[in-house]
Amino acid sequence: MYFLYRYWERYRIALLFLLLSGGAAWLVRQTHGAAVMEVYRLLSLPFQPNAEAQQLLLQSQTWELQQRITALEAQNQRLETLLKQPAIAQNKSIAAPIIARSADNWWQQLTLGKGSQDGLKVGAAVSAPGGLVGRISSVTPYTSRVLLLTDPNSRVGVVAGRSRDMGILRGQSDQQTVLEFFEKDPKVRAGDPVLTSTLSSLFPANLAIGQIESVDLSNTANPKAIVQLAAPLSNLEWVIVTLNARTPQTMVSPRP
Amino acid sequence: MLEPLKRWSPPALNALNWGLMFGSVLLCAMAMPVSLPSMELTGVGPNWLLIWVVTWSVKRNILQGAAAGICLGWIQDGLTAPQPTHAIALGLVGILTAALQKPKFIAEDFISVALIVFGMAAIAETVTAVQVSLVSDRPLQEIWLHQRQIALSSAILSSLWAPVVYYPLNSWWQFLHQIEQ
Repeated sequence: MYFLYRYWERYRIALLFLLLSGGAAWLVRQTHGAAVMEVYRLLSLPFQPNAEAQQLLLQSQTWELQQRITALEAQNQRLETLLKQPAIAQNKSIAAPIIARSADNWWQQLTLGKGSQDGLKVGAAVSAPGGLVGRISSVTPYTSRVLLLTDPNSRVGVVAGRSRDMGILRGQSDQQTVLEFFEKDPKVRAGDPVLTSTLSSLFPANLAIGQIESVDLSNTANPKAIVQLAAPLSNLEWVIVTLNARTPQTMVSPRP
Repeated sequence: MLEPLKRWSPPALNALNWGLMFGSVLLCAMAMPVSLPSMELTGVGPNWLLIWVVTWSVKRNILQGAAAGICLGWIQDGLTAPQPTHAIALGLVGILTAALQKPKFIAEDFISVALIVFGMAAIAETVTAVQVSLVSDRPLQEIWLHQRQIALSSAILSSLWAPVVYYPLNSWWQFLHQIEQ
């Protein structure tokens, strides 16, 4: 007995340590090292990839995708030439500054600092980073007026990107627009992209417009969705005017 | 400052008067589409043309008020879109302001002019809302919600900026009146 007591007196600290560390190790094992990983994350925070670097990566990716689109468009053009399709004019884009906003509160318009002298025409599509914003409703020699998609008088034929449900996009005087579907039961959900429809006579097909924010199917005769425009209209300073082949004035006649 | 003008011949003064009127209307029309951060409330700016109509009509008769209102309404049509016309709203503003007969009943100061502008801006937006309700196929609920949002902002901002237009024009017309007498 005395032997055991002396042994305990001598080694109890070590034993306690052993028990504690063993318990802790067991705990770590049972929790799959959760605490360790959490501490590791906290310590490594300063070295984690930051948002700016992520932004740079995204930019590179965007650039890469743009190059692929350009290449595919060129290829598409060549194939169409081979198929003896009527020649499609290359889209001509003109950057124009926004010099004024709407002169009353019932219209959603912009005035651009370029006009017919720069080649702008009534009906040309106007887009901004993010997507389509409207079309030109009148031109003077050095200015032009844009009717925005958010204007209540604006109607655009659109298609929901994922389910290909068609509808009409109508302005609501603020950043949001209403999409009224043709189908009774559109298979759309929040987050779906909205693009211009291939049937639209006013705009080139498949231009990005925005995202569905919420879907209201309560009125089955008239299903609707709220669409948030992708282009930040209130912060824009420049827009791109696209003189497209579908624009009536620039329609190219088939080759003889 | 205006003393040397007293020696001018009446036709020259008249020409100057017309020049100032056209110039101020042009300035107001060009200020309409400007959107400066300090001049906006929820995306709505002051209605400069309405301020001009009120300034003009305060000391004139109903016919003059209506004429100015309709003219400036047409100018605003040109700046935005002709349908529905702004001439009805601004014409009504001119008529009502002239009918108030301010010199007889209300004290002559900025506050009363600002108050008139406040009321008139609210009336003008309501008239436009009625026009839009009659013409367009938008849901009525949406139109009147929009009307409520913009009428208040427009009225507040217009009444705050009213002295900028009212003070110089009113001083000039008072000076002209003095000379004529």
